[in-house]
Amino acid sequence: MEQSGASTRLAGAVQDLMSELVSALRSGDRFRLAGRVMDGDGPEAAPDPALAAVRVVGADAVLPSVLLRCAPPEPADLTVFAKAVHAWPPPADAPPTSLWSHWAMRRALLRLDASLDGAPGDGSEPGAQWLDEAPWQFLTHQLAVLAPLALPGEDSAVTRVARGRPVDVARGFVRAVRRRDWLQAAGAGRWLTLLDGVPETLGLDTGLEFVAQMGGEDARVAFQVRAAQLLRTRVPV
Amino acid sequence: MNHTRLVHNVGVRALEWLHAHRDGFRLESDVDPEVGFLERFKPVGELALICAVLFREGVAGSRQATLARQLIDHAWCHTLDGGRMLVRGQHVEPLSPIPFEVYLPFRELGYSSPEAERAFRLNQRLDSFAALEMSPVRRLGLSAFQRRFGVPPRPPEAELVGATWLGRSPEPWTVEGHIAYDITHTVFHLTDWGERPEGLPAGIADYLALWLPAWLDDWLDLRRWDLLGELLVVDACLPDPTFDVRAWEGFAAAQQPDGAMPAVRTMPEGDPDEVFDIVYHPTLVAAFASVLATSRALTRLARTPS
Repeated sequence: MEQSGASTRLAGAVQDLMSELVSALRSGDRFRLAGRVMDGDGPEAAPDPALAAVRVVGADAVLPSVLLRCAPPEPADLTVFAKAVHAWPPPADAPPTSLWSHWAMRRALLRLDASLDGAPGDGSEPGAQWLDEAPWQFLTHQLAVLAPLALPGEDSAVTRVARGRPVDVARGFVRAVRRRDWLQAAGAGRWLTLLDGVPETLGLDTGLEFVAQMGGEDARVAFQVRAAQLLRTRVPV
Repeated sequence: MNHTRLVHNVGVRALEWLHAHRDGFRLESDVDPEVGFLERFKPVGELALICAVLFREGVAGSRQATLARQLIDHAWCHTLDGGRMLVRGQHVEPLSPIPFEVYLPFRELGYSSPEAERAFRLNQRLDSFAALEMSPVRRLGLSAFQRRFGVPPRPPEAELVGATWLGRSPEPWTVEGHIAYDITHTVFHLTDWGERPEGLPAGIADYLALWLPAWLDDWLDLRRWDLLGELLVVDACLPDPTFDVRAWEGFAAAQQPDGAMPAVRTMPEGDPDEVFDIVYHPTLVAAFASVLATSRALTRLARTPS
């Protein structure tokens, strides 16, 4: 019961954070990470769900600053972001999506304030071999999990895989919408906005609106759709 | 197992079941007028269409060909009473296209009812027949059958394609069951039930090549075998069929040891006539998909330089 209570609190914290970030994406206003998170040094005793939510959201926790080029986050917010990066380093046997998600967070941190890094390792990219020969269904699922990597001007190994398979990701979008998996559809849709060679008949723009309409009560879905729409209309960096 | 053999065996087993259950293709002479005498004609027409495909493609073994010939003879001689039931159906509902649609594949297989043909020719000259309100895909099928019968299609097929769902290449993520059946039937009509894959306009073929894999994946996971089978037929009608291994393996695994193919998920239970009415269609579709895919796979093999 305690476990399920903790996951409920974490899910709630993720929704809260995502709602704030969606508002920031819509308005261009500043968002806050600090203020939600308790003072203290980390997850030792009772993990702070607000801090864990920052880790779950990953690099997207600072996306409004990256995408809108609005004012950088306050130092206190960046400190919280750094804390989330440091508090949950992926173990050696972590799945590739965890390694990449952590890598993306750390990269975002280095860009915003390198002095806060301090994580071990040289920050080199994890491997993307697990996506070699991946069926389009699995590929789309993994890309949707790694939606924070879908950024204009990025050139990670994962991005290169996605660029090589626009039709497969488009099929994955169709599959996700058919299955009413709005989060996966929104993540796949965000990747598609960055890829050349997406079939015209997919109807991506209305598809994103449809996903937002059907699944937008989930702030994570609303966030990914809004991010995708911003990527679609903005000139890449 | 070799993939083409797996595909072929689905059809062999399906035909065994259809032959063993041929009495299920039955009309109901004393049917309630509210239900309609023509209601039970559709399965007979579908049976004839699939047998025609089987003879046409020439990939059936000798036992399969014998079973198919016995089946179609049974349907013509017993179920349709040598065509007299078609005449009666046309008398009951002169404007209904159903007797004509059932008759055409029999006629192409060499059966004939001059009396029914006279009725069809007159009724189809009526403006009322051309004005009958029906969905664009149904009208497309009727025009295709008129062309094959040798009367002027009203309206010509080319005028109808753009009005079908598929002809407009809409958002592929909106497809659900009814739309999917409209898609498969548009392909059947445009290709004369797989006989002329080149009848598929290039734009539609490209559209299907892009999105069919996503639909196959979905209806395989939903275990909607009837629709999955029709989508596998569509695959075999494309310029470059995928013969989707995962979909075919799932489809073959769903087939019963006696050859019956459940419509959705698993076999229904109950009164044999009711079970027949539920599974005859997916089993016919299984035979259709198998024959067409086997034929296309062998054609590809023959064209591959050794």
